[in-house]
Amino acid sequence: MKTLHLGQFIPGDSPVHRLDPRVKILTVLLLSIVILNAGAVESLVVTAFLLAAVALSGLSVDRIAAALRPLAWFFAILFCLHLFFTEGRPIFSSLPTVTYEGLGLGAAVTWQFVALVVSAAVLTMTTAPSELVGGFERLLRPFNRLGVPSHDIAIMVSVALRFVPTLLEEVERMKEAQAARGADFAGGGLIRRLRKMATLVIPLILCTFRRADELALAMEGRGYHRGPRTYLRELKFTRADYAALLAVTAFLAGVEALRFLPL
Amino acid sequence: MIKAEHLIYRYEPKDAPVLEGVSLEIPEGQYVAVIGPNGCGKTTLVKHFNALLVPQQGEVLVDGLDTKDPGAHREIRRRVGMVFQNPDNQIVGMSVEEDVAFGPGNLGLAPAEIRGRVGVALETVGMLRFAKRAPHSLSGGEKRLVAIAGVLAMRPAYVVLDEPTSYLDPAGRERVLNVLWELRQEGISVIHVTHSMDEIVDADRVVVMSGGKIIRDGAPREVFREADVLRAVGLSTPQVTELMGRLRAQGCGVRPDVLSVEEAFREITALLGSGTGGGR
Ligand SMILES: Nc1ncnc2c1ncn2[C@@H]1O[C@H](COP(=O)(O)OP(=O)(O)OP(=O)(O)O)[C@@H](O)[C@H]1O
Ligand SMILES: [Mg+2]
Repeated sequence: MKTLHLGQFIPGDSPVHRLDPRVKILTVLLLSIVILNAGAVESLVVTAFLLAAVALSGLSVDRIAAALRPLAWFFAILFCLHLFFTEGRPIFSSLPTVTYEGLGLGAAVTWQFVALVVSAAVLTMTTAPSELVGGFERLLRPFNRLGVPSHDIAIMVSVALRFVPTLLEEVERMKEAQAARGADFAGGGLIRRLRKMATLVIPLILCTFRRADELALAMEGRGYHRGPRTYLRELKFTRADYAALLAVTAFLAGVEALRFLPL
Repeated sequence: MIKAEHLIYRYEPKDAPVLEGVSLEIPEGQYVAVIGPNGCGKTTLVKHFNALLVPQQGEVLVDGLDTKDPGAHREIRRRVGMVFQNPDNQIVGMSVEEDVAFGPGNLGLAPAEIRGRVGVALETVGMLRFAKRAPHSLSGGEKRLVAIAGVLAMRPAYVVLDEPTSYLDPAGRERVLNVLWELRQEGISVIHVTHSMDEIVDADRVVVMSGGKIIRDGAPREVFREADVLRAVGLSTPQVTELMGRLRAQGCGVRPDVLSVEEAFREITALLGSGTGGGR
């Protein structure tokens, strides 16, 4: 109905889709550590790993590109900052100076961010939001004893996600209502547009509070209580999940070990 | 049985009470319609039935469980399901099936049991094929049905619905009413708060509220016979009953307690058949 937003779940039946969400979450966590520590050789290996994951997940390159596109400016600025402001041997001494070190560092840092975004995108595009929340809940459950209320966090997050589209619709309705009374959201300079947006924010906040109030009552009426509850789907590791987790962990540990080899 | 006794409730301590001593008994399996003008306290009353509100004076017992005892709230809320007026603000799941699973999950049931109940509840309201859909993508009527399914999955003995047909088109209304009818067939008590007189002619019982009190309580036929009492508090009678009332006022000899089109048809044909409008 609405336009696809960043990293939105794309239903499918690929091996990556079928993995237990916990395997995917843990993989992304491990992968992030490796990415942030990666040197030149490791980054090549990780890039190959990411490409393989994208291929396996059946996601088109377009989708991945679409996830990266909104951040293009950020990547460009990041790259340029490193390129121009790193001390070292100049490639050519114009003003600002561009150095070999700057080129290398810029490329490395930009690659790190791109790789992190791609791995997160593969996770969220192949995992339904409810599975994602369920996976995090299950991973946090051992920490219940330390006072981490995993069940309550999961409910909070899923209710929040459930209400995002409803609130967006509400904004649309308010815009229409105000447009009907002569407001014009399209035209005007930046300041005027911001001011007009403010007229939407206040009613939206009030309305959200009223909703939250009713929602809390409805949840209570349906027997909600803090603490442990059960779920429609209780996650279960299959043999494939164990195998995948083992393979990924071994592989990434191997990549980390590369750093210590005299290559 | 849900039993309210001398129930008094006020939202603001200094204001006049919203419920001024309501007493009511609802046996299991009964279909009760609750009507009354805006602001007469219907919603306030039914919120007492599953302990969302607790009496300030008097008491409410659900199958003998006192709503004043916080320890009994979970069991009370399992027995008495509540469907609110705005379905948008009571659907919590990211998909239809997860929403229906919310209540059973709160009861701590095993996933297999939850799955079974979700299936049955969605089947009952005819929404099984929407199981995977996101709630915001449903129509208003479909959201209502999902909200009802969410309550049914708790296997309640009583289902309270606060204006379940408001904002629905005739087809959506019909679907909701059919579901309520089915619940009644299954022996579940339905407590149906409404403003539509035409919806409740088949109820076992009609409770009429005004100004925080119950002013009439009886079978629909008895209640609608007293059209002037209803009119005095700003309510109407079903349209056919209204029509018969007008005919009587014209001196036609028709029954005063006609509730359905079928009955009205019989009365009127009898009248025409007898040749005159001069009364019997
Ligand atoms: N949360 C509240 N705080 C203060 N007053 C309230 C609150 N909720 C309801 N009231 C007041 O209590 C009275 C009864 O309200 P209630 O919602 O029970 O009426 P109702 O019969 O359900 O009306 P309607 O047909 O409009 O739904 C009204 O005068 C209302 O203004
Ligand atoms: Mg009400």
